[in-house]
Amino acid sequence: MNPLFGSSDVARRIVTVAAWLCYLFLLIPSLIVVPISFGNSGQIEFPPREFSLGLYRQFFTDPAWWGSMVQSLLVAVATTVIALLLAVPAAYALARSELPGRGLLRGLFMMPMLVPVIVLGLGLYLQFSNWGLLDTTAGVVLAHVMLTTPYIMISVMSGLQHSDIALETVASIMGASRRVVFFRVVLPQLGPAIAVGALFAFLMSLDEVVVAYFLTGTDAMTLPVKMYSSIRWELTPVLAAVSTLLTVLSLLIALGIIALQRKTEAHS
Amino acid sequence: MTSSSTATGASGLGPWSAIVLLAPLTVLMFAILLYPLGLTLWTSLYDGQLSLRAYAELASSTLFLKVLRNTFEIAITGTLVSLVFGYPVAMHLAAQPPRRRTACLVMVMLPFWTSILVKSFALVAVFGNQGLLNQLLGFLSGGQINLPMMFNRVGVVLGMINFLLPFMILSILGSLLALDRRLILAAETMGAGSLRIFWKIILPLSMPGVVAGVLINVTLSIGMYITPALLGGRQDMMVANLVDFYTRQTLDWTAASATAMALLAISGLLVAMLGRVRGGLSGGPA
Repeated sequence: MNPLFGSSDVARRIVTVAAWLCYLFLLIPSLIVVPISFGNSGQIEFPPREFSLGLYRQFFTDPAWWGSMVQSLLVAVATTVIALLLAVPAAYALARSELPGRGLLRGLFMMPMLVPVIVLGLGLYLQFSNWGLLDTTAGVVLAHVMLTTPYIMISVMSGLQHSDIALETVASIMGASRRVVFFRVVLPQLGPAIAVGALFAFLMSLDEVVVAYFLTGTDAMTLPVKMYSSIRWELTPVLAAVSTLLTVLSLLIALGIIALQRKTEAHS
Repeated sequence: MTSSSTATGASGLGPWSAIVLLAPLTVLMFAILLYPLGLTLWTSLYDGQLSLRAYAELASSTLFLKVLRNTFEIAITGTLVSLVFGYPVAMHLAAQPPRRRTACLVMVMLPFWTSILVKSFALVAVFGNQGLLNQLLGFLSGGQINLPMMFNRVGVVLGMINFLLPFMILSILGSLLALDRRLILAAETMGAGSLRIFWKIILPLSMPGVVAGVLINVTLSIGMYITPALLGGRQDMMVANLVDFYTRQTLDWTAASATAMALLAISGLLVAMLGRVRGGLSGGPA
């Protein structure tokens, strides 16, 4: 069927077995939390002895769990909105201007992806303890905006590369102002690219744990930080319910991103 | 080239509009990225006066040296295991027809989208002392066998490769898909066996993907914090955990900052190497 292995059946079989072992190893941890989450007892059970929604009830009635989930969603929404407002105009300016020093700025904007998060966590901890921003929602949001803007920029800049620059030229020759060109010509074409960046930023903020662990205490604690200390100290089965909810949410977001990327590919 | 540059000229932004659009993000990056990094460097150098004392103390600290050794051992072990298992997966994916390849890629990408905390919790549930695998082993052996696979070095490496494998697989897959299949057909027609084809054609031509994958894996694992903290034992502390230890346990911000700067230097070096490999090999936009 395919000449990558030559015609050897033995080679193909070895590769296939090794590959499926890896698929299982990659897949099972993401899936096993689902059956565990429908168990009902004081300990982690697989397979569960009886079907129950008890762990979900515990999650939604315990303010420590439920509250950190609400906090995380709040932080993720605020992060996404602010990161979009900062990153989309900057990406547009980098792609469509001849300003000297653009390469340097681009490097600066991409830097958060390259610095180990623990280093950023410590630096922000030192800074925010001086600025009185420790354990505040504003502090976590500021840090997450910095962490997520590179991903929005990458998505938007690749969208700008694929969008038709001739349309912008025509619009401005016909007398459209810079603002009209941006809002009526550029933005509509960029829609899917911006949406992909936004979904990615939302998911990253929702899952981010190291920086949030350094910056938050009891007041502004996000869900990943709560999960982290719970896995570390008590390993309660409620974690299975939280994990299932998070995995379903991540999957929905991933599917959204894939669908949007398909759409942009079909366009270009 | 000329037509596209005139097009940019007509619809391009003037320098002032560009500056207005770029200013907010630039200010944020100075205030929330460069400032804290500078503050960390300053904290590592200054206690009463400027000195390299913190770095000299790190260099002679047995704890730091042990943790540094752990970090490299774990990162290299994780990367090698992920290479040995990632390569066959990439070959398997490359050999599938497009539709089946997409289906298999979903399985590779799922952990990529899953929160690291969900994965850590699930790995404990599967590989822990009362986990799924040990229950199975105990049942099969009549309670004779119980393998300690969590809260030790094995646990860290398992968590590490679960995280690293997708990056390795995608990197190698890129090289394998770019490989000219006619070379293999030609070699086969000339009578080369499949082992020979692998060593002489497939492996050498996929080296760019392998090198990039290895560098990405080492870079990612060198800064790992969550996996060693949750899946390792006391003996498996890595550099990132040491930063946290100095910050929270001993409240020694100078030592924490010096350790963080050491980590930043190592990972900066790896990122620079990765940039060179990528730039030298791909040429065009990837």
